[in-house]
Amino acid sequence: MSIKDLISMAVRNLWKRKLRTFLTILGVIIGTASIVVMVSIGIGMNESYTKQVSEWGSLQVIDVYAPNGGMGVVMSSGSSSSSSSKNNGNVVLDTKAIQSFKNIPGVMAATPVVNDYFQIICGKYVSDVSFIGIDPECFDDLGYNIAEGRGLTGEDKNAIVVGQTVLTSFYNPKLDWRARYNSDPPEVDIFNDKVQLTYDYSYGTKNADKSIKPIKVEVVGTLAGSDQNAYSVIMPIKQLESIQKEKQKHESAGGSTTKKKSGNYERAMVRVEDIEKVQSIQQQIKDMGYNASSLSDILESMKETTKMLRTMLGAIGAISLIVAAIGITNTMVMSIYERTREIGVMKVIGASLKDIKRLFLTEAAIIGFMGGIFGMLLSFGASKAVNYFAMKQSSDMLSSIPLWLYLASLAFATLVGVASGYLPAKRAMKLSALTAIKTE
Amino acid sequence: MAKDIIRIRGVKKVFRMGNERIFAVNNIDLNIAEGEICCLLGKSGSGKSTLLNLLAGLEKPTKGEIIIANKHVERMNEEQLALFRQQNIGFVFQSYNLLSTLTAMENVMLPLIFERVPKKERIERAKKMLDAVGLKERANHKPNEMSGGQQQRVSIARAFINNPRVVFADEPTGNLDTKTTYEMMDLITGMARKNNQTLIIVTHDLEISEYADRIIHLSDGAIEKIEINQRPT
Repeated sequence: MSIKDLISMAVRNLWKRKLRTFLTILGVIIGTASIVVMVSIGIGMNESYTKQVSEWGSLQVIDVYAPNGGMGVVMSSGSSSSSSSKNNGNVVLDTKAIQSFKNIPGVMAATPVVNDYFQIICGKYVSDVSFIGIDPECFDDLGYNIAEGRGLTGEDKNAIVVGQTVLTSFYNPKLDWRARYNSDPPEVDIFNDKVQLTYDYSYGTKNADKSIKPIKVEVVGTLAGSDQNAYSVIMPIKQLESIQKEKQKHESAGGSTTKKKSGNYERAMVRVEDIEKVQSIQQQIKDMGYNASSLSDILESMKETTKMLRTMLGAIGAISLIVAAIGITNTMVMSIYERTREIGVMKVIGASLKDIKRLFLTEAAIIGFMGGIFGMLLSFGASKAVNYFAMKQSSDMLSSIPLWLYLASLAFATLVGVASGYLPAKRAMKLSALTAIKTE
Repeated sequence: MAKDIIRIRGVKKVFRMGNERIFAVNNIDLNIAEGEICCLLGKSGSGKSTLLNLLAGLEKPTKGEIIIANKHVERMNEEQLALFRQQNIGFVFQSYNLLSTLTAMENVMLPLIFERVPKKERIERAKKMLDAVGLKERANHKPNEMSGGQQQRVSIARAFINNPRVVFADEPTGNLDTKTTYEMMDLITGMARKNNQTLIIVTHDLEISEYADRIIHLSDGAIEKIEINQRPT
């Protein structure tokens, strides 16, 4: 029998017993939908975690620290500490190292990072802010979101980009802390007011050091979001270093000497092209002897916990599909009892055993396939409903169904159909033609 | 005399009923010639149906040989039997045994579907067969929309469509009235004669046996007598 004939005959046989076929398919629909929805909730959880974590910063950026960096900050534990102790002393984070990061396949950009604290002056108000110096050419690759204006470019010198929280952190230095605390943060027009920065932390107060001249800077943009960068100001690294040098000169004139070895950095940032490669590139950097960490570390551990939940949810869904599978088997066995005679006749007029087996398998597969199709539709609706109620409580989607899940569920439902039809088909095949045609 | 298409040698079929052994078919030797219309006549329990089942390969003989078209039917496995039936055997049942989900046309071409005959060809052949049994205008009716006689016509068309060398008819008129019975017997024997096909009819009805060239009287699993029907040709 050709496949076309098989299908057409199978469809007729199913159609003849519409109600029973429908009820059996309904079982598969519910089974498929419950698996899809359960798994989709697991996937949705992962996605909302990813979203949450990415609100803290770019997931594609790896923070790299010099192995025995002055800050002594080791954010990631375990493997990083062991690999850094191996190469202690020899590994430095310098321009050459940055270049070697850039050469790792999959890395889009790498920049040294210098941190310092300055005062930013806007009109008559000031604020104490963390400044981050980066290679301005890498700005676009580091995943900063611009709220207004633009980001840094290679030509920028005295340009800065200001984080969102910084905008509301200004205060009048002439007031004492109690008055500052009780007054609302002043409105500043960061793009139009005169903006300066200084390493005189007493600027504007009675203790101000008149020998330190504020440096005029231009605000080219503001950062969106409330992630870790919201509290910072980003500027070209060259500019930041020259201010640092000036500050050192000033301080050493005042007696204290904390001269930093030039050319070596404490920190660098590496932007990875593909989020999937973050972990492996991070490992490569660790193997080079640096300490490295990224937000994807946190995400990984969060995903680890959802994995178990997802398995559990999937298992709950699977139970209903197993019940549906038993339903298919039951329907097919019933059908064999009813069609014993028909099977016998087909054998007598020349149907081979294979034909008989295939006919029953096809019928079971169609039940599974139809169940899969409508199960897909149902799960689409159910997922929408779940999200509707979830959105009422929080802004996160609870259920997310990727295309592969739809296709996989359809294939799986069909497969379940075939598997449940196997036993009945075997049985039909083994029916003796003689007893079959004798059955009245 | 035409050559024998069916040769039966020392065939026995024994059933066990508790401790008793029943010889349903007891040591039968029989040759049937190509193109012959042969009737197995006997009362119920005479072994005629069992013999038919053995010939069609639906049952295996306890002993003996059954050779149809030079092939040992009793040695074939299920798969070989299916192929053998596709190519050589047609079957007409007492209760028609049409598939209720299929139309008359589809029922007729069912053997060709199993044989994987291309759609265009099998529709062509099925149309011709339906025409031959006089059911042209009923082609798209389901079995439950047809009378018993019409259903049996469909069943006859189905039996002959694959040009079998042997057609078995098991009480083909058992469920029909007298008038239809004659129509049906004329039809089935006419078709067999036209193409020189061998027809084996199993019946308990003496009148039907009159249609045959040779009547094999069976009793208690053995051949009681063989009667040759003289007819003007």
